[in-house]
Amino acid sequence: MSIPSEVIRQTTAALYEWALKKIPEDTKQALAMAGATERNAAGRRTIAIMLESAEAAESAGTLVCSDVGIPTYSVKIGSRVTFDGPVRQAIVDGFADLARRIDPPILKMVTNPLTHQRGYEGRGIPVVSFDVIDDADYVDIICAPKAMGTGRWEALDTFVYPTLEQIDNFVLQTVLRAGSQPCPPIVVGVGIGGTMDHAARLAKEALLRPFGQTNPEPILQAMESRLLAAINQLGFGPMGTGGDSSAMAVHVDYAYGHGFTPVAVSFNCWINRRTHARIAADGQVTRIE
Amino acid sequence: MSAHIRHLRLPLSAQDIDGIVAGDLVTLSGEITVTIGLPTHQRMVDRLEQGEALPVDLVGGAFLHLSSYNREFDGDFEVLYLNPTTSTRYDLLMPQIIRSTGLRVVGGKGGLGAESVAAMQDSGCIYLSFLGGGCSLLSRALRRVVAVHWPEYISQFRLVTLEVERLGPATVAIDAHGRSLYADLRSAAEQRLPGILQSLTEARTVTEQGKQ
Repeated sequence: MSIPSEVIRQTTAALYEWALKKIPEDTKQALAMAGATERNAAGRRTIAIMLESAEAAESAGTLVCSDVGIPTYSVKIGSRVTFDGPVRQAIVDGFADLARRIDPPILKMVTNPLTHQRGYEGRGIPVVSFDVIDDADYVDIICAPKAMGTGRWEALDTFVYPTLEQIDNFVLQTVLRAGSQPCPPIVVGVGIGGTMDHAARLAKEALLRPFGQTNPEPILQAMESRLLAAINQLGFGPMGTGGDSSAMAVHVDYAYGHGFTPVAVSFNCWINRRTHARIAADGQVTRIE
Repeated sequence: MSAHIRHLRLPLSAQDIDGIVAGDLVTLSGEITVTIGLPTHQRMVDRLEQGEALPVDLVGGAFLHLSSYNREFDGDFEVLYLNPTTSTRYDLLMPQIIRSTGLRVVGGKGGLGAESVAAMQDSGCIYLSFLGGGCSLLSRALRRVVAVHWPEYISQFRLVTLEVERLGPATVAIDAHGRSLYADLRSAAEQRLPGILQSLTEARTVTEQGKQ
């Protein structure tokens, strides 16, 4: 048995559409909790409007946000899986199909960085990372459209034998720099170690972790908890117009590296676009979120 | 909740917005003009510098950083939805647009910088923060497409004038008296930073002690 190319094509397109029209259940719950504890009256109203907006988009099958971002996929392939046909091209074709048929239609966001021309396709789009899960007989795909509001504030710096204090401060300064602008309350993903490319990917993968899961490494568990508390003392609040709720979660992951240590910080806005499906070796698709 | 929302109908005079303060919640009705195109802003500024009129009269009006999906339909334009974008990337161009057009309302999300705030104070103009990710709610206010200017651009870069009814609610984030929630919040965050860093240090110490 093998996974047909067509299943990859349809599933990746569907994941993108779901991400645009429905915010994750855990994110709705986190917003509701933030609304219940928010001390700023305008902030509470803004959270109520956020939940209303998410509900309205979901029930009507419309977009939560007009900045549909660029499509990004994290694909993890079980080593016992075989494919019938191309994989990378299926994802490219899936996005092309979606851009043609989605209702309501989406705006052109895919941008040539050299000419600023915009369209629905281009070199390297969709952005896809591939990984392997040893001995697994399925493929896991997470879609997380990336938009301007958060994308422009993400950052990476490289340290030499950094202390935990230096890492904490870099994350906090990156959030402070973004301030009111990334549509808070945000989700923060942090990647520490490895190489520059790997730290960035760790940050992105950490960002996409479901709420309520902490890093099993006690040092990082403590870091996640203290950074979340610190960010929520900054006061930017919902939509950056004031309040306690500036972040819903901080997720950190790490990898061993050399003495030089890249630290990457990634953001998602309050709508926290993240969808996840699993394709079994026989091509059966299960939507996980 | 609705008792606290002020309803503004365009066009507005300087007097109409004088009593509005940062933190108020408002809705907006009447004709608004929207675009999220940087080239569109540049073209507007170029025209204003050359003493040429803009294709739309903005006196007393609202110019908002809202993207719109508009398309030709039966020889006319229709607009399917609206949603804000971050305004700060237009910071270099907004002061001149605010000073030269008689605008009373600008907006989007994320705010504008000090020069824009000064221009707003000098000209009598407020900034509205709309909900990012508010596409479905904000689009309910759409009533009619008044005009689509510069259709050679992609949809969201066109200069689009629309009639809306109770667009919002939006937070007045910068008022016409020079008060900016963004500047206030940033300055408060920077003042709090030493204390926050101290609490991080204490939390790390507790973690370290817990390991011993």
